[in-house]
Amino acid sequence: MNISYNWLKELIELDLSPEETAKALTRVGLAVEGIHPHKDDFIFDIDLTSNRPDCLSHLGVARELGVVTGRALSAEADSAPDIDDSEPDPEAVPFPAVLAPEVVRIEAPELCHRFTARIIRGVKIGPSPKWLMDRLEAVGERSINNVADITNYAMLELGQPMHAFDLDKLAEKRIVVRTARAGEKITTLDEAERELDETMLAICDAERPVAVAGVMGGFASGITEETTNVLLEVAFFRRENIRQTSRTLRLATEASYRFERGVDIENLIRASDRATELILELAGGEAADIVDVYPERQPERTVRSTDISVAVKRLTGLEVAADECERILAALGIVHLGGGEYTSPTWRHDIAIEEDLVEEVARHAGYENITDELPPAYGAGEYQPTEQRKRSLRHTLSVLGFDEAITYSFVDTSHDMVFTPVPGLIDASVESPLVELRASVIEGATRMRPSLVPGLLDAVRLNFNHQRKDLKLFEIGKVFASSGTPGGLPVEKEIFALAVTGGVVLAESSAATRPLDFYDAKGSLEAALDSAGIPVPSFTAADIGHLHPGQCSKVFVNGRSVGTIGRLKAEIASDYKFKQAVYVAEIDLQTLLAEPARQAVYSPLPKYPSVIRDVSLLVTGQIMYDAVSSFIRENGGPHCRSVRYVDLYKGEGLEPDQGSLTIRIEFLSESGTLTDAEIDEAMAQILDSLHKAMNIRPRI
Amino acid sequence: MSEAKQQVEAAQESFNLAFAPYAEINLNGSGLAEAETLLRDLNELKVRHTGKKSELAGTKKLVGRLSPEERADFGKFVQSAEKEIAEKLASAEAKLNDFIANARIERDRLDVTIPGRRPRTGHLHPITILRQKIEDIFVSMGYAIEDDREIETDYYNFDALNIPEGHPARESQDTFYTTEGFALRSQTSTVQIRAMERRGVPIRIIAPGKVFRRDTPDMTHVPMFHQIEGLCVDKGITMAHLKGTVTEWLKRLFGEDTVTRFRPSYFPFTEPSAEFDFSCFVCHGTGSVGGGHLAVGNEIEDYRPTANSQQPTVTRCRPCKGSGWIELGGSGMVHPNVLKACGVDPQEYSGFAFGFGLERMAAMMFNIDDIRHMFENDVRFLEQFR
Repeated sequence: MNISYNWLKELIELDLSPEETAKALTRVGLAVEGIHPHKDDFIFDIDLTSNRPDCLSHLGVARELGVVTGRALSAEADSAPDIDDSEPDPEAVPFPAVLAPEVVRIEAPELCHRFTARIIRGVKIGPSPKWLMDRLEAVGERSINNVADITNYAMLELGQPMHAFDLDKLAEKRIVVRTARAGEKITTLDEAERELDETMLAICDAERPVAVAGVMGGFASGITEETTNVLLEVAFFRRENIRQTSRTLRLATEASYRFERGVDIENLIRASDRATELILELAGGEAADIVDVYPERQPERTVRSTDISVAVKRLTGLEVAADECERILAALGIVHLGGGEYTSPTWRHDIAIEEDLVEEVARHAGYENITDELPPAYGAGEYQPTEQRKRSLRHTLSVLGFDEAITYSFVDTSHDMVFTPVPGLIDASVESPLVELRASVIEGATRMRPSLVPGLLDAVRLNFNHQRKDLKLFEIGKVFASSGTPGGLPVEKEIFALAVTGGVVLAESSAATRPLDFYDAKGSLEAALDSAGIPVPSFTAADIGHLHPGQCSKVFVNGRSVGTIGRLKAEIASDYKFKQAVYVAEIDLQTLLAEPARQAVYSPLPKYPSVIRDVSLLVTGQIMYDAVSSFIRENGGPHCRSVRYVDLYKGEGLEPDQGSLTIRIEFLSESGTLTDAEIDEAMAQILDSLHKAMNIRPRI
Repeated sequence: MSEAKQQVEAAQESFNLAFAPYAEINLNGSGLAEAETLLRDLNELKVRHTGKKSELAGTKKLVGRLSPEERADFGKFVQSAEKEIAEKLASAEAKLNDFIANARIERDRLDVTIPGRRPRTGHLHPITILRQKIEDIFVSMGYAIEDDREIETDYYNFDALNIPEGHPARESQDTFYTTEGFALRSQTSTVQIRAMERRGVPIRIIAPGKVFRRDTPDMTHVPMFHQIEGLCVDKGITMAHLKGTVTEWLKRLFGEDTVTRFRPSYFPFTEPSAEFDFSCFVCHGTGSVGGGHLAVGNEIEDYRPTANSQQPTVTRCRPCKGSGWIELGGSGMVHPNVLKACGVDPQEYSGFAFGFGLERMAAMMFNIDDIRHMFENDVRFLEQFR
């Protein structure tokens, strides 16, 4: 909102400089974002909060300054008629009772609470005088003609939007305020044809809409150079309705902006008088009596505060004496009726409860006068129960070279059902299991993601495009799915995913030392889970939608399937235009962290040295290391302490489906150093049972 | 006697002849390999001329042929010859060893400026870094960290926060909705309600989390970002406690000399309401940099006077755009309707709440010019933070 310093000075005696004025306004909550010199004037750019439509005018801003300076508004500005608080006299309203229905009829009183019209005959339309053009130009408004400029000027001064019709263009020279009929059309002042509907309030003549109420007048009934007779509309409309109409028509105007935030229903006559006075002065003519249709006077709103000074102290800690509280409130137009009852001014729609009064007093007493205090000591602080474990996981991954990604929680439709989500997220029986967004308009945001993998792959692609080919990324975040129960909130699950591709790189080196593969992804995953106190996972080959057959696995913890790991399937990789293997893993972290962290248990250190034997076994592709090692652990005799992987060799000297699996077995006795003979015997027994049970022989 | 001595002298002579190349050894210009060969040869020479089977050792047997009076004299004679040979050998040996040791040092000298074999360690996201710091501060101040749903009902996103149907904030086009009619939470204030329902009062929490607004991405807008919401409700809580708390945590994050400013504002869920600013952490509230003020972080690089300029250049400070203040967030006393929605009696309890955006704060702290980088996950961006 642009406010002119000179204009303010017409409304209130002001001995503050423009800078001081700006500071004073900002201090009480009318944030001045800039002061722009304009000829002999200064224009304040004020950023108003939506609760203060009363300050969308010079009068409103002057009123705030009046509280600051302690000066009353100058006579002209404060000439608002006293609010008539007597019971409405049915004979007196509408006024003039006899003429009114002939000129104005409100058919939708729930949307139009008051409508005034004044007919001014014999005006001469022409350019505005220089002072008026300058004024409008100073606050950034364009001059049109004298009558249009005056309605604009009165609005900027008093906050009340108004509209001037060419009376002779109104069928039967009358106004009907009613909701539009479906499909009814109007060409508005901006020369655009607009179709109205039944939710919209229209100002009509005897035949058709001549204005979209509170938003914009019609082109056909507008003021032109030929206009001689004017009908000046000054009205009050239901706020919500104007907002809705403005939204539906995608038409926001100075008028709609003020009406939807709320104008002063008791200010209409004064605004009409002010505009009429200026029209007679600048365009000539003769004004008739005002027609004021005000079907139901709004009840006066009151606020209760038995001791405002105490309330201010209780909520803000500020000590403001009772008479200073009263002074501030009175200057704002909040009248103490006695006995702790205060009126809420008709121009303030935001004062309803005692706390609102407290804010009025506090902002004028000054937030800067509130001391800084810490609340008295209370309980101990606490992190979220899983935070420390997640920090460990993050730390471990970053030490292992992973960068943390945060990707958007929404994805587009191209990923629908391509990525297999973590187990238990999607209920297969639900018809549309994904959470869809309604008319999101944001590109790429049509679904809430059921998987973190697409986001990480987007990041991989972006980095590939920047010649970064050796990548390790991870993300911790929520995934979403429909609940499956009607009206039920969607399922949200915090999960964890990683992606690795390219080679092992050193911090300062340009070349990768060796390519990363499945086992790098797997090892990083194991290290991450371990650091978060999650039990050792196990891996079982399986077919997984988005992963490469034969190079992927389900991940189990304590026998429960918690996620997947593997190489990205060729078809998907080619969609992304990836030319190198990308390995991804995704794990249901929330479920795993819901269980207590694994507790370390000490086992006594061995007293005797252990003996190690390596053996190479001839295996076929069907036999997994896990099966061999668990078999040996279970059948290796009393001294078999551990079985570890050394190497799997394939290639020269072996059949294509054969591999030479080298493992290392550790033997240890609690009662003495084992002899070679004892070890030989144990080894022989192991090889014998491997042969018998699994048909595996050592490679010689 | 003289015959024996002659034999000794002959042995000496034969040693001297063999030792001649080493007598005046000059290794200038020699290589390591050459020196090593010389040393090896010298060792052979040593064995040949001083070992048990050497000519000199053989002369010792002659002592038997001498008279007892001559023996002592002859013994001394032999010893002196032995000593002379040993000394010559030792000296040459020492020279060679010295040379070889030095040559080996030269050969093995490292370029210590070549990069260390440092594994490439990864980086936490700047939002995580900032969130963890702020969580640590609040936990130390007795707050509990809370979070809750990201997809919410209108009740938690609006109604309970005193944003009834028809309120402009609610009708704004900002909020994402699912086809089932749920809202993606547009502020973390939803957690105020959830947490008060769960924990009751008194309560002190902060709630970091993701929020969503239908903003088309540009340099300063993104449709998803992070907020931190703070809430403290107890008997006797005032705006003084709000100011004290906000000032305290900002001091802990940005330094003891940080000051805050509260300006009247409007939020549906607080009354009275205030926006809060803090003194710029680069220019310390002066609005300019270069006039003798020290700054922190990488920001200073932009403002440091160039080496060849005589006068320090005073430049408009970037994070605060020269105002000296950084606008951070909204705050206020919890609206009585919000307390009532959580079953708390506003006559008995009062509380404050505040909220601010992490992306904005991170952008200022790290001097990030385009907020969209936060979610692109460009490694060149991520690896700048630790």
